Amino acid sequence: MKKIVLRLFILVMLIGSAYATSPIQSDAFSSRDLGRGATGDDVIELQARLQYIGFYNGNIDGKFGYGTYWALRNFQDKYGLPIDGIAGSQTKKKLTAASSYDEKFVMDNLKKGNKFTHYGGKPLASQVKQGGGKSENIHLPSKYSEQDLKLMANAVYGEARGEPYEGQVAVAAVILNRVEHADFPNTVSGVIFQPGAFTAVADGQIWLTPNERAKEAVLDALNGWDPSENAIYYFNPITATSKWIWSRPQIKKIGLHIFCH
Amino acid sequence: MLFKSTMKKTIFVLAYALIVVSVFAFTKTTENNRLSLALSNEYAMKMADASDKLEELDKAVKQTLLFNHSDESKKSRDDIWRLSSDIKSSVASLPLDASFTTSWMNYLSRVGNYAKEADRAAQPDEYYKVMSQASKNLGSMQNEWKLATAGLLDGQYSMDEWTRKLDTSNPDFDWSTMGASIKQYTESDFPLTASESDAMKKKELKHIEDAKVTQAEAIDRFKILFPNVSNDVIGVEMSKPGSPYPFFHIRFADRESIGYIDITEKGGHVLSYLSERPFGKASLAFEEIKKKAEDFLQAADYKDLVYQESRENNTAWHFVFVRKEPFYGAKVFSDVIHLKVAKDNGDIIGLDASEYIRKEKLHRQAIKKIDWKEFFHKDVQIVEEELAYVENERLEQRLSHYLTVTRDEHGQTGTYSVIVDTETEEVIKTERLD
Repeated sequence: MKKIVLRLFILVMLIGSAYATSPIQSDAFSSRDLGRGATGDDVIELQARLQYIGFYNGNIDGKFGYGTYWALRNFQDKYGLPIDGIAGSQTKKKLTAASSYDEKFVMDNLKKGNKFTHYGGKPLASQVKQGGGKSENIHLPSKYSEQDLKLMANAVYGEARGEPYEGQVAVAAVILNRVEHADFPNTVSGVIFQPGAFTAVADGQIWLTPNERAKEAVLDALNGWDPSENAIYYFNPITATSKWIWSRPQIKKIGLHIFCH
Repeated sequence: MLFKSTMKKTIFVLAYALIVVSVFAFTKTTENNRLSLALSNEYAMKMADASDKLEELDKAVKQTLLFNHSDESKKSRDDIWRLSSDIKSSVASLPLDASFTTSWMNYLSRVGNYAKEADRAAQPDEYYKVMSQASKNLGSMQNEWKLATAGLLDGQYSMDEWTRKLDTSNPDFDWSTMGASIKQYTESDFPLTASESDAMKKKELKHIEDAKVTQAEAIDRFKILFPNVSNDVIGVEMSKPGSPYPFFHIRFADRESIGYIDITEKGGHVLSYLSERPFGKASLAFEEIKKKAEDFLQAADYKDLVYQESRENNTAWHFVFVRKEPFYGAKVFSDVIHLKVAKDNGDIIGLDASEYIRKEKLHRQAIKKIDWKEFFHKDVQIVEEELAYVENERLEQRLSHYLTVTRDEHGQTGTYSVIVDTETEEVIKTERLD
């Protein structure tokens, strides 16, 4: 009896571990419809599956942009589905049946920031190049890059981490207002690293690791919010040493910062 | 004996420590000196580069004055644009006085843009008049700059010493004198164009002629729009006197939601609103969230808007809605409303209507028939075509063909928006869509 129980236990463990380490998980899609603008793990799966059967040649990054949209439409066309560029239940079912998805391979490589592809018909191990940098799981307006987001989040965290959320969005908006203004450099990095422009650059605090709140604040500014009301300067009246900054027309005060033209 | 031995050991340890500290201090000082020298050299290089290019810019401006037609001066005008951008870039990377830098960069932008736009915007006589004056002023500026940078470029001063010297009040060449001269040059050589002046007025909400609302009325507006977060207003401040348009800055902290809303004094229009709170699990489908956004806009009386795009992020969807004008059915991309909608329950947690309330003045415009097969390369496919009002580089609202096109790029489909003026066929903007 003991032997039977032991054998059963070993069998269950073996099946369990085989399931847990299995690279292929065929029906992990979420239940929601996926369309342009969507972000997330289900978009990663969608891109990986489309790539597996040769419809998608872009980066697997979890952002449903135009590249994913056209790939999906081509798939729908080829498989006799309504062509709408939306991954609904019918499309997902067809795609799951037609492709494979190695979730562990994809997620591991995304976590490590490797460059990789997920094409079927060739060993996955041969489709990886070490490095390349991690991508943020964030969807930005076309005119901004992830580099802009990262630099601005560093600047906002270095300059205003103790400020209310509104104040952090306003600092990010000031950076963007300067990019658009004739008196300043016309890139995010040019504005941030302009000598003397930001205290956090001068004292090195810009290289602190920003938190999620700072990133979210920058994301709101990149998406069009400007609580500073078009300001191009701000200063802390307690610590400001420049006389000139006091001559600027003031718009509003948020937290410890006064925002001005 | 024991005392002597202990003393000896102590002296040895102290001497050893002293040597280690001295070596460390020496290494650090050497390293700091090296870094400081490298930085000074870098600054000197940028300064020398800016000085050389300023001279070239002056020559290029003078060369364009030799010709009657813009075609002959095109190369020199391109040089003006390139050189002014290069000098801007050098000036931006130098630790100069903020007021001087901003005036100087503005002047350079205007010289460059004027030269670039000359064949479209300026008559030859007008160009000659403006650029002759600009050339004279650039010459003066060049002399001032040479005097000011002399000590730095011949190694007499470090960057710090040099900037300190220019900080002190010296009527010959200090920051304020140079900054004031350039500001004066900008105003005299390149006064604001009618479109720039209009754009400025719009930005400053000068066109709003609605009656003033009181603080209580502004709070009421907030309560009507966002009843879930407006029960606990923790502060209302009026904008500061330097603001071009007065507005109420209302802060709230209602249960877990903290945020603000800015409402104009004239007319009680919402400028922007943001609310921050902890978020639950995302549970709504995109279509439900989009519907919540559209319902909110209807209820808030923003009725002339159409959906443009949306982007999903960690806790919320960001939506973009644009105004649709009734005559051509064209989208007006400058009259936009941004909404931020929570993924967990569909609450509107952000609204920015500052651009929407600036409402553009639109003009009727001829629509010429354009042969797109002739216009685009044969590999390009037009996948969507609509009409839109878009601002061109001269800040004019132009009726345009807003085209979404694709092209096969080595196995991937590249998608672009191409905006073409319906009357002049000018390509106002081309943007790659991700």
